Amino acid sequence: MGSSKSDLRSTIYPEPVDHFNQLPDPVLLLIFNKIGDVKTLGRCCGVCRRFHSLVPQVDNVVVRLISISSRRCTASSSLVDDDFEKYSVTHHSPTQVLKNFDEIKLLRIELPSGELGIDEGALLKWRADFGSTLDNCVILGASSVIQPVSIDDLVEEQCGNGSNSLGDGNGETDNGSIPESFYTNGGLKLRVVWTISSLIAASARHYLLQPIIAEHKKLASLVLTDVDGQGVLCMNREQLEELRVKPLSASSASKRTMVPALNMRLWYAPHLELPDGTVLKGATLVAIRPSEQPKREVGPDGNWVAAAFEEPYGTAARMLVKRRTYCLEMNSF
Amino acid sequence: MSSSTKFLTLKTNDKEEFVLDEAIAIRSQTIKNMVEDDCVSNVIPLPNVDSKTMIKVIEYWKKHSEEGISKDKLMDFDKAFVKVDQSILYALILAANFLNDAEMLDMICQEVANRIKGKTPEEIRKEFNIENDFTPEEEEEIRNENVWAFE
Repeated sequence: MGSSKSDLRSTIYPEPVDHFNQLPDPVLLLIFNKIGDVKTLGRCCGVCRRFHSLVPQVDNVVVRLISISSRRCTASSSLVDDDFEKYSVTHHSPTQVLKNFDEIKLLRIELPSGELGIDEGALLKWRADFGSTLDNCVILGASSVIQPVSIDDLVEEQCGNGSNSLGDGNGETDNGSIPESFYTNGGLKLRVVWTISSLIAASARHYLLQPIIAEHKKLASLVLTDVDGQGVLCMNREQLEELRVKPLSASSASKRTMVPALNMRLWYAPHLELPDGTVLKGATLVAIRPSEQPKREVGPDGNWVAAAFEEPYGTAARMLVKRRTYCLEMNSF
Repeated sequence: MSSSTKFLTLKTNDKEEFVLDEAIAIRSQTIKNMVEDDCVSNVIPLPNVDSKTMIKVIEYWKKHSEEGISKDKLMDFDKAFVKVDQSILYALILAANFLNDAEMLDMICQEVANRIKGKTPEEIRKEFNIENDFTPEEEEEIRNENVWAFE
């Protein structure tokens, strides 16, 4: 009898076992924290009692929103009455969906698309940090992006005409300054529109986050981005705390946070070739800080500016800040 | 000249012994603490790990300790490493948890999370042999509460 018992015990993996049962709570919670996706987490609640009690304790949640109204703003129109009502997880607002999660520290919300309509082939990316109001914003734009060509294409091109490697095609030499044509051909105007539109989009996103920030007191990092990778709004622990202590001032015109008076620095390159061979035509970088709190100087290395973007765009930003700097100011709006 | 490499003997719960370079074995915070506290006799018993699992753990440790190995190679290795049966995956989680190797635990938990993603509660129960211990009424209530997750 005794020997048959020990035989049984030595069978390593006998029948289907509920493996989760063997895992301690902290490990199960670690698994749930790696899921991120709020929809999957919601479904996990319905698996069994243990899951149901543990899921609300996750501290890392990703909410992917879908668009219920398909209205999309163009760069020239403002984002008046933009609202989370426009987005949802199926037909439920992000606030509803997150209601049962009391421990969230890291929250990432993804909009189905960027708010700004831009010409096909053009590049527009912004990143903004907010506390109670805008802390800083960096915008990278280009009128067109030319992806690196393969070596075969390159050889062919060089055989055809070997003279297209330098310059911007406008016959102006690149001395680091903005070429005259930029002011006359609509280039500057377009950059101004991009800048204002990005700031409006960012401040509208910031405004939407208020109820979520108020309800989730343990938040340490909040990111509101979009699937297109157009805009990223970030708030860290201190910035979230600042907003809780000092509520935002809303713009009188619409549902968005008021943008303070700003100092801007602008850099421009008619033709910017990145190390990986990607070429940005009409590349523009705008670094924005409120006029009243010039906490961080934009040094020649452009650290905080470059840190705003993932590669290869971080490199693009680092290259641009080495060029001539143009300063602009903007009133609060 | 004698080498400065120190070896540790790890003994699993099925009485197998593994001799391992100390520098590799201390990827386990548990073993590291034992070594630092000087409470290591000749043999370190691992009462929560069987030999079959320990072989996998050591395979992982050795690969991740290779000098100059590229990130891409490690990623490929990790990907192949977790392509195993549920039961082995759970044994690995328990081992990584007991040995306190956060990197390995993270990696395997990510794999389990990936296996859960996109599944319905029924599919999750089936995949992981989890018993439904809700009453029908409770289940209904939870479904209504989280209706956004099911649409």
